[in-house]
Amino acid sequence: MKNHISRTTAKALIATIFTLFAFTSNIFAQENAKNGEKLFKLNCATCHKSHTDQKLTGPGLKGVFDRVQSGSMSKDEWMKKWILNNEKMIKAGDAYANKIFNDNGKATMSVFEGQLTDADVADIMAFIKGPAPIEGPVTGTTTGPTATGDPVDGGTKVEPLYLILGTIVILAILLGAFRSVRNSMQNAANRAEGKAENPDLTFWQETKEWMSGHRRLVGVFAIVIGFIGMKSCWDACYDIGVYYDWETQKGYKPEQPIKFSHKLHAGDNEIACQYCHSSVEKSRHAGIPSVNICMNCHKGIQSGPQYAEKEINKIYNAAGFDPKTQTYDKKKENPLTWIKVHNLPDHVYFNHSQHVVVGKIECTTCHGDVKSMTVAEQKAPLTMKWCIECHRKTEVAMEGNAYYDRLHKALKEKYAGQYDVKFTVEKIGGLECAKCHY
Amino acid sequence: MNKHYKTIKFVFASALVGLVMAGFTSCGKKDENSPGVEFMPDMYRSNSLEYYGTHVVDGVTEQTAKEPVKGTVARGFLPYAYPNTKDGYDAATANLKNPLTAQSREVYEKEGEVLYGKFCVHCHGASGAGDGKVGAKLPGPPPAYGSIQNLTEGKIFHSITYGKGMMGQHASQLTQEERWKLVYYVQKLQGPKAAAADTAKAAVTPTVAAAANH
Repeated sequence: MKNHISRTTAKALIATIFTLFAFTSNIFAQENAKNGEKLFKLNCATCHKSHTDQKLTGPGLKGVFDRVQSGSMSKDEWMKKWILNNEKMIKAGDAYANKIFNDNGKATMSVFEGQLTDADVADIMAFIKGPAPIEGPVTGTTTGPTATGDPVDGGTKVEPLYLILGTIVILAILLGAFRSVRNSMQNAANRAEGKAENPDLTFWQETKEWMSGHRRLVGVFAIVIGFIGMKSCWDACYDIGVYYDWETQKGYKPEQPIKFSHKLHAGDNEIACQYCHSSVEKSRHAGIPSVNICMNCHKGIQSGPQYAEKEINKIYNAAGFDPKTQTYDKKKENPLTWIKVHNLPDHVYFNHSQHVVVGKIECTTCHGDVKSMTVAEQKAPLTMKWCIECHRKTEVAMEGNAYYDRLHKALKEKYAGQYDVKFTVEKIGGLECAKCHY
Repeated sequence: MNKHYKTIKFVFASALVGLVMAGFTSCGKKDENSPGVEFMPDMYRSNSLEYYGTHVVDGVTEQTAKEPVKGTVARGFLPYAYPNTKDGYDAATANLKNPLTAQSREVYEKEGEVLYGKFCVHCHGASGAGDGKVGAKLPGPPPAYGSIQNLTEGKIFHSITYGKGMMGQHASQLTQEERWKLVYYVQKLQGPKAAAADTAKAAVTPTVAAAANH
């Protein structure tokens, strides 16, 4: 009997170990696929779709392991060889390799030998074979090889303040419930002993009674809470009308009607800021490009690396453009309502051309490293203090500005060695109220 | 005792108000889609129509961005005389001459180079060889300037204005003066490439080269 029990235990033990093993190996497989997804995005995603048939530069990879004709090799082995060095296979005369090359317009695929290890390739293949990635905000916002966007804070993060408030409410409810239970039990006991029942106090009456018994404690507590409240009230005033988080230095970053990526356009493709914001040097507005400027390139480029045709089709929809016939229809135009990120109140005058042309201020000084932003984000607080601080320390760009040539030279000679003055914007009236408010 | 309660009540109430205020603003901040609390929003958001969007007139939704009224000309704007047709293209090729002659060619070329770096380089490449990063993504890259030296200045100007083939029109981004400065710089880029013209031509896809040459 004893022996029998120990045998079942052993069986159970073995079974547990096996399940555990299966479970962990499953986790490992998931890890591989995850790593593969990362590698795929870095190396392959510009030309291939991993889980659809859609063709970009290269074919979509859905079901690629079913259609590969690997000859004498195993399919995995063939794919590994192809990924690492497709040119070698084509030159070696592999029939299917040559077929793919010809079917895709003889577009050459990069050679990854030396860049990717065998393990990397195995991970990528695990990813392609595995389930399609869920297009979440995290995967959706990275575009290219050097996606270094800020890690997106999970939407599940709960404001600690709300947590505290929530706990207080729950505690209050619990307290109320316990109170009535306790009361009725006390009354039952009282009745059994023949005593008078407790007076039926309301919650508030009881609280009052308790508070008057612990006056000092309540007073200290109230003062502390009151102080915290007033402090946060004071701090909150600094946030009114400011689209910027002072603590995290993160700004307003609204979701736009088209998932336009500055990183892709200005960063990876090196399009100058002024190409689209062409009025920045001519007017007070940098200008949001109208759709015809999008169409200058997207007439030809009909599919993007991240969202393929989905986002670019929105441009066509706005312009009334049919990419198949390459014609415009004025009746089908729909305006794109972009959301303004950098907003100054109406009572402030700001001129872009003044700052960019005369002041020779770089775009990045106020707008941050837009070239690395997938979603346009406000990078400066745009408060008056921020303006003033910059006007106080920025020196006037006099070099190459004919307006200052003669005067500045004359004054420099006249007062040589007498003053040690920096010609900041403040010195030429950059702090005058009417400079910006009129 | 009553007095005490009143003080306590007051402190509690102010604390609650403070917490609620803080909650309002700080939570608004965490949401990237929210601009936060605006005090008197009509001072932040203009009541006038924004250029991109729609407005409703007599129950009809209209696009706010509109073409100028027919027959009107904006201040400081010089209309371009040649229409965007085959005839206009030929006429501009034959008749249009560069009006910028007040300063030396070098001065204009220098200004044109700056403009080229902002408006052309991403497709046409820094040397005009058609090797820009965006150009590579187009169905066919733009032809190398060295391979299309037989263009008149009027033709170059007309093409910048209305676009040609895959190239879009750039009249909305560049004034006429800026376009003429670009013409000078484009001609400069075409120049030294003369010797390498044949090799550059061979590198360009035949259809694109043919389209650009006619």
